[in-house]
Amino acid sequence: MKESFVSIKNLNLKFQQKAVLRDLNWAINRGENWVLGGASGSGKTSLAKIISGLQSASGDININFDQTSSLPAETLFVESWYQFKNLEGVANFYYQQRYTSQQAKETLTVHAELVSYGKEKGLHFDQVEPILEALGFATFASSQLIELSSGEHKKLQLVKALWLKPQLLIIDQPYTGLDAASRKNLNILLDQVAEESVQLILICNDSELPTCITSFAEIIDGNLVQVDAFESSTGAENHLGEIPAFLKESPVYSSQNIVKMVNVNISYGEKQVLKNINWEVKAGEKWLLQGHNGSGKSTLLSLVNGDHPQSYANELYLFGNRRGSGESIWDIKQHIGLISPEFHWYFDPTATVWQSIASGFYDTVGLFQQLPYTKSTQVDELVQYFGLTENKNELLSALPLGKQRLVLLARTIIKNPELLILDEPCQGLDQQQTKHFNQLVDELCSNGMTLIYVGHFESQLPTCIEKRILLEKGEVKVVESLNTEILS
Amino acid sequence: MANYFNTLPLREKLNQLGVCDFMDSAEFLDGVSALKGKKLVIVGCGAQGLNQGLNLRDSGLDVSYTLRKEAIEGKRDSWKNATENNFTVGTYEELIPNADVVINLTPDKQHTAVVNAIMPLMKEGATLLYSHGFNIVEEGMQIRKDLTVIMVAPKCPGSEVRAEYVRGFGVPTLIAVHPENDPQGKGLAQAKAYCVGTGGHRAGVLKSSFVAEVKSDLMGEQTILCGLLQTGSILSFDKMVEKGIDAGYASKLVQYGVEVITEALKQGGITAMMDRLSNVAKIKAFEISEELKDIMRPLFQKHQDDIMSGEFSRTMMEDWANGDKNLLKWRAETGETAFEKTPAGDVKIGEQEYFDNYTLMVAFVRAGVELAFETMVQAGIKPESAYYESLHETPLIANTIARKKLFEMNRVISDTAEYGCYLFDQACKPLLGDFMKKVDTDLVGKNFNEGKDGAVDNRKLIDVNEAIRSHQVEQIGATLRKAMTAMKAIKTA
Repeated sequence: MKESFVSIKNLNLKFQQKAVLRDLNWAINRGENWVLGGASGSGKTSLAKIISGLQSASGDININFDQTSSLPAETLFVESWYQFKNLEGVANFYYQQRYTSQQAKETLTVHAELVSYGKEKGLHFDQVEPILEALGFATFASSQLIELSSGEHKKLQLVKALWLKPQLLIIDQPYTGLDAASRKNLNILLDQVAEESVQLILICNDSELPTCITSFAEIIDGNLVQVDAFESSTGAENHLGEIPAFLKESPVYSSQNIVKMVNVNISYGEKQVLKNINWEVKAGEKWLLQGHNGSGKSTLLSLVNGDHPQSYANELYLFGNRRGSGESIWDIKQHIGLISPEFHWYFDPTATVWQSIASGFYDTVGLFQQLPYTKSTQVDELVQYFGLTENKNELLSALPLGKQRLVLLARTIIKNPELLILDEPCQGLDQQQTKHFNQLVDELCSNGMTLIYVGHFESQLPTCIEKRILLEKGEVKVVESLNTEILS
Repeated sequence: MANYFNTLPLREKLNQLGVCDFMDSAEFLDGVSALKGKKLVIVGCGAQGLNQGLNLRDSGLDVSYTLRKEAIEGKRDSWKNATENNFTVGTYEELIPNADVVINLTPDKQHTAVVNAIMPLMKEGATLLYSHGFNIVEEGMQIRKDLTVIMVAPKCPGSEVRAEYVRGFGVPTLIAVHPENDPQGKGLAQAKAYCVGTGGHRAGVLKSSFVAEVKSDLMGEQTILCGLLQTGSILSFDKMVEKGIDAGYASKLVQYGVEVITEALKQGGITAMMDRLSNVAKIKAFEISEELKDIMRPLFQKHQDDIMSGEFSRTMMEDWANGDKNLLKWRAETGETAFEKTPAGDVKIGEQEYFDNYTLMVAFVRAGVELAFETMVQAGIKPESAYYESLHETPLIANTIARKKLFEMNRVISDTAEYGCYLFDQACKPLLGDFMKKVDTDLVGKNFNEGKDGAVDNRKLIDVNEAIRSHQVEQIGATLRKAMTAMKAIKTA
């Protein structure tokens, strides 16, 4: 019998007394490309890390690299989370600091980062250029790492992986944060490297996949189960019950004008990221904010959330008050519930699930005060509603990504805010969880809550959305009202 | 100008040294109202200036920056920091006359020149705010009698001041009102409002005096915070290399070890730090730290005496006048040490390994923190102030060493601290010569527990634990840490 490329036997992994993988077996033959899907928390990322040698577990793993191949005999794991360093080597900055001007000079540029990567791995720079082109990334060569949006960081990781062409390439959530065009091009690039004998394992629940994919699997009860495709396997149906009563109350608006921007401009040095933005959001409106990666969406939202230092130089009104007229950022934030990929990265890893949700009352990253009785009861109710009761005293950072995301979503809505800002809220959730969450958003919004929702996938949006703003290269391209038919 | 402290009669010296009150959070219920609508003008826009200004503006206050003409015309970094974040920037002549509060956040060395330039421009009854009392206390700067003089000193580097504010917390802060300059009695209310504006009120505020702040701050930074961390790091590295430990490993152990070890200190004081060791290692660390205390006590006392008498500031100002000759020489020497020049190796060191293989640093930290604290308290400084300037700040400085070794530490701290640090280091290294000869790799570089059976005498362990736990720095620390309701755990390497 021919030897498998990857052969895994009797793999066992425990996480805090709980068995995640139990005697898992997996054989990947030469020429096969796999998609690993299934429920969040089933152990997919752990398995990938074990195969890549980033995590240890008991059992046998053999990877029979082809020593005659010109491709590097190594396994590369592209994490769903990126980490970048500024020149001083501090791994994580705080969320808002990405916007202050002083910090912006301290990271590397994309070009410098790629040059140093190419040098480390012995790669030719001319080979990366077509990849940059295909992913629409060439224009970012001179950008500072800190200026990149979440989608752009993802692309940078993918560029590196596709450039290196390791014999085994494992990508966790390859499509997260990518827009439709980039997703399509990524699939073409993946097909190309597969053609050159790179073998792929993609961890995701997406349905638009590269054509080279030969096999599908998911982890059920710690075992690898091969499946035909992913239509049927969206994880267990865990129906959410009735939403807690305190979330059914209609918000009380202090002003009908939630956001008003008049000719807003934002630049970092020479680079202009927002140009002459005019936009109004009225109380109760449900907006969809769209745009390519790097079009300025995150910056626009940071203005609404009171975070951007350049707010003070622009004509910007929030909740009826001109920005810079004596309000504090905490006065603004108390009206808003916000979640974004960046916010998730910078969240306090030492907070427990319960504390993380409770901190939403005070808009703080981490909980610094004792909750009064009613608020504490509300946290309990929401914990239960999201099915997190078992995890409530665990550290947020110890949970699988999908669950972490649910916790932060709970934090976002805990104070039943006037304005919900959901920037790609469902990243990392499986399809079932996404569906449930969007239903919840619809229900909350039916009580009069204002919504700004950022999402790439037309199929995964709440139905309540009625207006759309599209950004392109920092400018407003389209503002329109939507018929519900267009979306459904 | 005469040293202000030395002009005071003994009773007033004791009186001002003894000002120390850990403020209740209820004292901050007025928020920023004492500064609302007032014009706040910050002089200087470095790390402290920019980050405090960003916080104050985000708290709804009116903030602008004034810089020297040359800095504006030359578009220096300070000018860029301020303008790129959309603050109004102007010359002293343009902004100072309308300022209600002028905030002096320039380096110590420039204070006399800066204050002499701005004071004549300040309007009647305005407030001058410092974040360090050196100029007033050591240089004896006299401020116009109609002006209010206050101090607000966040006990963290500028970047932390901002980062903690943004996450909804703050950094511990010390405030003071200069008794010679509070003509309208508004100083305290304004200092408290400023604390709220920077977020400091959430993390604990200590009411102190200019005198107490200077005398304790200088002592802390020279001895335990910077001085001993530098001496201990260099000696530990050299010892390991001498004994054949891999230089890359040694470099990493020293660079990150002090941060990991003092993280335990931050969470639970000396007790928690010592409890991370096995029983045998703890007893050993206790014994050698007692020995270190005996060896270093005279040096700590000399530093405190020179600070109290004004001798330290006199010699340092001589060096200023001399073009920073000594400072620059010592800075260059530090840059040339083998530790500084050896990059951290690409080896994984587990969190517990930093304790087990670096027992010597645990002993250095215990000895240094307790000695600095004891010496300050004996000199008349209140235990709360002494706690802040010794144990509390040690992890923050250790954090800078983890970032980029001693270069980073000395870059982040003030020139005054850096000068004092070198002064201490120069004297301390020879003092520890005989002690270091006895040190072997079981204390630094290898696991202390290796080859030992771990048995200890009950009575002995009880005595050691008792001595650690009953020290005054532990008792006051427990109270103060409880008040600082939440502390962020520094991510360890």
